[in-house]
Amino acid sequence: MKVLLSWVREFVDIDEPAEAIGRTLSLRGLALEGLEPMGDDALMDFDVTANRPDCMSMAGVAREIAVVYGLPFRAPSMRVGAAGPGAPDAGAPAPPSPLPAMPITIESPDLCARYVGAVADVTIAPSPAWMADRLSACGVRPISNVVDITNYVLLELGQPLHAFDHARLAGPAIVVRRARPGESLTTLDGRPRRLTSDMLVIADAERPSAIGGVMGGADSEVSSGTRRIVLESAWFKPQSVRATSRALALRTEASMRFERGADPTIQAVAMARACELLAQLGAGTPGPAIDVHPVPHQPTPLHLAHARVQGLLGMPVPADEVRRILAALGFEVAPAPGGWSVVAPGWRVDMHRDVDLIEEVGRHHGFEHLPATFPGVEQAPAPSDPRIARDARARKVALAAGFSEAISFAFIEARHAGPFQGDEAAVALANPLSEKFAVMRPSLVPGLVEAVSHNRRHGRRDIQLFEIGTRFSPRGEMRAIGLAWTGLATPDHWSGGRRDVDFYDMKGVVEQLASLFDVELTAHPPAAGSVAAAVLVPGRAAALTSGDRCVGWLGQLQPAIGDAHDLPASDIVYVAECDLDPLSPTGIAPARMTTPLPRFPAAVRDIAMLLDESLSAATVRGTIRSNAPATLVSVTEFDRYLGKGIPDGKVSLALRLTFQAVDRTLTDGEVEAATTAVVEVLAKKLGAVRR
Amino acid sequence: MTTMDPSVGTDRARALFDEELAGVTSAAALQDLRNRWMARSGSWVAAFMELVASAPPDQKRALGRGANTLKKHVEAALAEREAALAATRRPAGAVDITLPGRAPRLGCRHPLSLIREEIGAIFSRLGYQVLEGPEIEDDYHNFEALNMPADHPARDMQDTLYLETPLTPAAGDPPTRGLAPRAPQPLTLLRTHTSAMQIRQMERHDPPVRLVAIGPVYRRDSLDLTHTPMFHQVEGLVVGRGVTLADLKGTLLSMATALFGPGQDVRFRPSFFPYTEPSAEVDIRCIRCNGGGCPMCKRTGWLEILGSGMVHPAVFEYVGYDPDEVTGFAFGMGIERVALLKWGVEDIRLFYENDLRFLEQFGR
Ligand SMILES: [Zn+2]
Repeated sequence: MKVLLSWVREFVDIDEPAEAIGRTLSLRGLALEGLEPMGDDALMDFDVTANRPDCMSMAGVAREIAVVYGLPFRAPSMRVGAAGPGAPDAGAPAPPSPLPAMPITIESPDLCARYVGAVADVTIAPSPAWMADRLSACGVRPISNVVDITNYVLLELGQPLHAFDHARLAGPAIVVRRARPGESLTTLDGRPRRLTSDMLVIADAERPSAIGGVMGGADSEVSSGTRRIVLESAWFKPQSVRATSRALALRTEASMRFERGADPTIQAVAMARACELLAQLGAGTPGPAIDVHPVPHQPTPLHLAHARVQGLLGMPVPADEVRRILAALGFEVAPAPGGWSVVAPGWRVDMHRDVDLIEEVGRHHGFEHLPATFPGVEQAPAPSDPRIARDARARKVALAAGFSEAISFAFIEARHAGPFQGDEAAVALANPLSEKFAVMRPSLVPGLVEAVSHNRRHGRRDIQLFEIGTRFSPRGEMRAIGLAWTGLATPDHWSGGRRDVDFYDMKGVVEQLASLFDVELTAHPPAAGSVAAAVLVPGRAAALTSGDRCVGWLGQLQPAIGDAHDLPASDIVYVAECDLDPLSPTGIAPARMTTPLPRFPAAVRDIAMLLDESLSAATVRGTIRSNAPATLVSVTEFDRYLGKGIPDGKVSLALRLTFQAVDRTLTDGEVEAATTAVVEVLAKKLGAVRR
Repeated sequence: MTTMDPSVGTDRARALFDEELAGVTSAAALQDLRNRWMARSGSWVAAFMELVASAPPDQKRALGRGANTLKKHVEAALAEREAALAATRRPAGAVDITLPGRAPRLGCRHPLSLIREEIGAIFSRLGYQVLEGPEIEDDYHNFEALNMPADHPARDMQDTLYLETPLTPAAGDPPTRGLAPRAPQPLTLLRTHTSAMQIRQMERHDPPVRLVAIGPVYRRDSLDLTHTPMFHQVEGLVVGRGVTLADLKGTLLSMATALFGPGQDVRFRPSFFPYTEPSAEVDIRCIRCNGGGCPMCKRTGWLEILGSGMVHPAVFEYVGYDPDEVTGFAFGMGIERVALLKWGVEDIRLFYENDLRFLEQFGR
């Protein structure tokens, strides 16, 4: 809200410089957003919060200044006829002109509680410079004396006015009613508007000539040829104006004030002020105002208990101070048991409860007087979201494995989301900011690949990134961890050992994550149509399950997906994603009793078996386990060799077998027999040959 | 190397020895020096001893003393240097301990994650429960129960992102109190604040309440230096008997001190939020200039950091609390804003680029 200091001074004798006023008001609820010195005047721009339409005028801001500085305020109702720029010397009022009566009918009193109308004969001309200058300074383009007067009163008092060309009104009559089916109106901006029956219109005897509280019609617009006008000063229901303004996507100075709530008591004052200005500028001769007021303003008294003021604010405010503040703001304050009975003035549409009054008292007494205290603790705090601690543990593992933490936007491009959706639909936004933020991410990996690409473009070769966050599907939200790794497996070192990241590097990290929560993951070839099959290179892709639940996937990213994120085709990127909720909803691995340390030594035997290359390690391990003696406690692959000395299609797999018994030391004979049994079962079931 | 000539006298000989010793850096050179000065025959010391032996009896005593002093000095200095050389000798199999080590690769924390964790820890210490909650919300919890019924003008304050197709919420515990629909509502929007989580908590629990809700929130704001369409928020809520605005001030002062160090001050400016009354914007004394005025605080000496207020009685009615029985305060703060201030980051978009050159500045 742009406010001219000189204009404000017509309501309050404030001598402070604009800068000081701005600083003070900022601490009292009107934040100064801008300040433009204009000679001895100044243009102040205040940020008026949505609850304070009363401050969307010179008079409203002046009232706040008066309270803050303890100065008298000249109320608009007292001011009509008082001196202002361009005011004539006090003289005799113009004799009443024999203007025709204007019939005003309010058919929808629920949407229009009051309508003040007046007819005036006018001579259209430009406004005097002082008025045009004030309007321009406040960002309103001067048009003609009559239109400028309506805008001037709006800025001065906050009451929107409208002027119709009397000659263009059929009847002539004013009918305030809901639009009828099929009605339309071309508004002042020249655009045809289709009206609906929940919209309030100001009609003549036949058709709409304005959309109530929003904008006038082009047809009845005041033009250079206008000789006689009808002036409107009305109160429209905020919700109705707001709904209409939104439906038509049409916001005006008038609609902005009506939708927040205009003062229901100021319509006649504003009309008197406009008529006064018409006469003052020699712009016209107004007839008597007709005040149709079907729903009178009936404020409800609020009870304010004095104890409640301190009870809510935590600082004492003396009774005299409470009364002084409220009275200065225009409230009627009468003593009542334990406090006061308070009636809010018409312009304070934001007063509904005692807390609203307490805020007025608090801000004008000054929040700077608040002491710094602490709320008492009545009981032990309830537990926090268990995901916080769980995610923190997962984060530690990822960080220790060399991954840096990423945070990406949760909405991504639809084309990037597609391959990660599997057979599910996208969770798309109805009103995205742009194509880049069109759908909620079905996976954390596209965002990580985008980040890898960003870092590659900025000269990085070795990149490890992870993100813990929410992924979305039509089934809802899922907390997951995503990982991406490209470049070297371990940091470059002068001692050599350079190696690029491979499948097992990434798998190892995922296994560590799972073991953190005491979960065993099983890797399977991705099913056709699954996300893993769509986004990973075949043969270097795994779907991960825990029990019979699919919890994630890992493998080498399809180059086509990297390409969509502008990654060079030669880049090999390993990616993984794991849902955290199925791994551990609580973050706490189930408590396990410890096992006593073994009392008898273990025996270790290594065997090397020649197998079909197509046999998976899981098959070999499973075969051993399902046929092994009870003394076999672990099987570990420790070498896998293909090449020289190994026939085509075969692989040499070296296994370390550990045997142990809880009740005795195993004899060499027992261990040998058990080892031989393992070799034999592999030979029999898998056709393996011991090397 | 000096020519052996005992006629120079023991004092001069001693000075020559010291000069030569100073140039010795290896064991071999030291041995050579020892031979030339200490050998039984042909050395400096031997020559002096011969001189003593052949001297007339009345000079023997004085010459003998001089020769012995020289001998002792040479012996002692050679022994000392030998020990010093031994100390610098590389043992067999020695490594170059100045080459760089084989450092395990450690990842870097994201600054927003650091602040989020820090704030969670601060409020845990103050006895708050820390909650996260869903990011896709229904209209009731994001707006209506926060005193923003349909068509409330305040809805414009937070331009909302809506889903094209509403999601069906998972069946969960229904609210046990308040005006919330008992049947789960379709999830239609991305939460514009974490306040929705506070409503959900109050609907299921009796007062007192003491919680912070942390997590991403979404608004239809274009990207610029200070805005992103997704950002992170922490919102606090304390409800109980006799909770006051002054309690909020003490709490926020304590949070500011924990986040930015001792000597903080906070300032309340009256404001408006539909869900609080009274409402206040809270500034902290500028952490850069300590209130003197600088570009970061636009010369005001204060930095706007959060919005806050006393919970609106209407909100209590929505969740089924009696506004005559309990009062409460609430505050909401942007985590990006704290990070921008704390580390002097000038472009909020950097938080979402995941550029390692940026992330690595925040330590491991
Ligand atoms: Zn500063």
